[in-house]
Amino acid sequence: MKLFLLSVVVCASALLVGCATTEPASSGTANAVPTKDLVLWEYRDGVSHLRAGRFAEAKRTLDEAITTISGIRANDKSAKQARGYFHKESKKTFLGEPYERVMAYYYRGILYWMDGEPDNARACFRSAQLEDSDAEEHTFKSDYVLLDYLDGLASLKLRQDGSDAYKRACDLAKGLKLPAYDAQANVLMFVEFGNGPEKYAAGEYGEELRFRDGHSLVRSAVVKVDRDEFPTPPYDDLTFQARTRGGRVMDHILANKAVFKTSTDVAGNVGLISGLVLATEGSGDARNAGIGLALAGALSKGISALTTPQADTRYWDNLPQFLSFTAFKLPPGDHEVKVEFEDASGRLLPQYTRRVNLHIPVGARDSVVFVSDKSTNF
Amino acid sequence: MCARSKLISSLSLGLTAVVIAGCASSGVDRPNGIGAVEMRPDDKGFVQGTGIESQDIIAVTDKMARGLLAVPEIANAQKAPRIVLLPVKNDTRFPFNKDIFLDEIMALLNERAAGKVRFLARDRITELEKERDLKRTGQVTSTTDPNIQQFKGADFMLTGKLVGQTTKTSAGTSDYVLYSFELIDPNTSEVIWNGSHRIKKQGQTDAAYR
Repeated sequence: MKLFLLSVVVCASALLVGCATTEPASSGTANAVPTKDLVLWEYRDGVSHLRAGRFAEAKRTLDEAITTISGIRANDKSAKQARGYFHKESKKTFLGEPYERVMAYYYRGILYWMDGEPDNARACFRSAQLEDSDAEEHTFKSDYVLLDYLDGLASLKLRQDGSDAYKRACDLAKGLKLPAYDAQANVLMFVEFGNGPEKYAAGEYGEELRFRDGHSLVRSAVVKVDRDEFPTPPYDDLTFQARTRGGRVMDHILANKAVFKTSTDVAGNVGLISGLVLATEGSGDARNAGIGLALAGALSKGISALTTPQADTRYWDNLPQFLSFTAFKLPPGDHEVKVEFEDASGRLLPQYTRRVNLHIPVGARDSVVFVSDKSTNF
Repeated sequence: MCARSKLISSLSLGLTAVVIAGCASSGVDRPNGIGAVEMRPDDKGFVQGTGIESQDIIAVTDKMARGLLAVPEIANAQKAPRIVLLPVKNDTRFPFNKDIFLDEIMALLNERAAGKVRFLARDRITELEKERDLKRTGQVTSTTDPNIQQFKGADFMLTGKLVGQTTKTSAGTSDYVLYSFELIDPNTSEVIWNGSHRIKKQGQTDAAYR
């Protein structure tokens, strides 16, 4: 009898612990992407297309991602589950941290400007800056240099006043001198280099979201055309942006989950041990109480095993580390533009050099060029 | 085995069964998906944000079309005035298809007041000039003299502007958009008519994303 009851208790505990399953890893192919990871794949594909010069595909995938991230996600079942004790944070639909959502708008803004729509480009840069506006510390809210700079430049191109945005950008540039706007500049070069930050989970149960620094051999670039040179220093750093966002509301939720997991585990241990001792050593009512206690302990252990405080570490893994920009005027005709990348000591890294053949048409429309140290279309 | 022991055994087995059943990870929301459903353009869909959506476009263009038809220069014109559509300007944080507003206004005016106004297809001017050149060189036939200038000038120009103001705090996001449209006399630069509409929306996203 005792053995039978003990067996039931042990089996129940084992089954409860075993029921705490891990989530299968996402498949590496876009065709097998779960819906909750779709935006992540759209982000990755979008920038891959952009770097390969496949602008139509880049627009399509980024538009799909932005359609998802731009809505107000309220009464969302997967988000509610992610906040619950028994589902991981990665249950929710991936939208990305603010620095990731910023980049989706930033890239889409570049593509709008390529299509001769500086006002829609500006709208994207503004939405991007808004995505960065809920940083915990006021100092780091909406602090991308280029987003304000480009907002003002687009306004100038639209014959509006961009001076406020320019001043904000200069205040954010922290020692880097931003070139004054040139309304006549008809070539806009968006440059990026390095590898962006990585997410990982820390803490006893992986409940703390952390960032590993991005890395970049390239620390600056120079755009050379005809006899002119235009330095393109790193105006924005995505690792800095990722790290300075501060605490999330979700961090508090995950911390509470971790506390709950620990306390139910401890309670389970106490219940199981003391219950089993009572059940085996006691008799009559004490034995029955012991069995009940052991069962309660097993249940508590099971609940603890099922509690999932792990932080969501899905991340946009092909983002750059640094963003830069320059603008200049070229006469109509064909030009070769060379983009050279340099290391921290200013030494040329020839393996990254990109040559762009540019045809400047007659007319008022800007020529927009996007160059990455990972570009495959130059 | 006494009754109490049987009861406890049964409860233990039952509890084990319940927990095992509870572990089954069903609970997939709408596993069969949602079939496509046609909606009215002015209905709110289940995907909502604080930006520019179809029901806003319908509301704004409907109001502007009614306003335009009441303009004396259009309502009392002896001959249908000719209008050129200029691109709408976007001064909000929402990128959108700018053609949609004027195309919608044009469609509404044509539906409600066929013949009251005529629109000039200046966005097609390159193709039209090409056709005219083909006629002039005799490569294609023409029922009229292609050497006579027949492209019409605009009596009025219709344009619009969207201006936005956004507030975002820990309480949520609020977006206000002012939609304004103007009918301009290109000869005098006078604004013959101005219509506007205001929409404000706010919301707060789930804590899982904050």
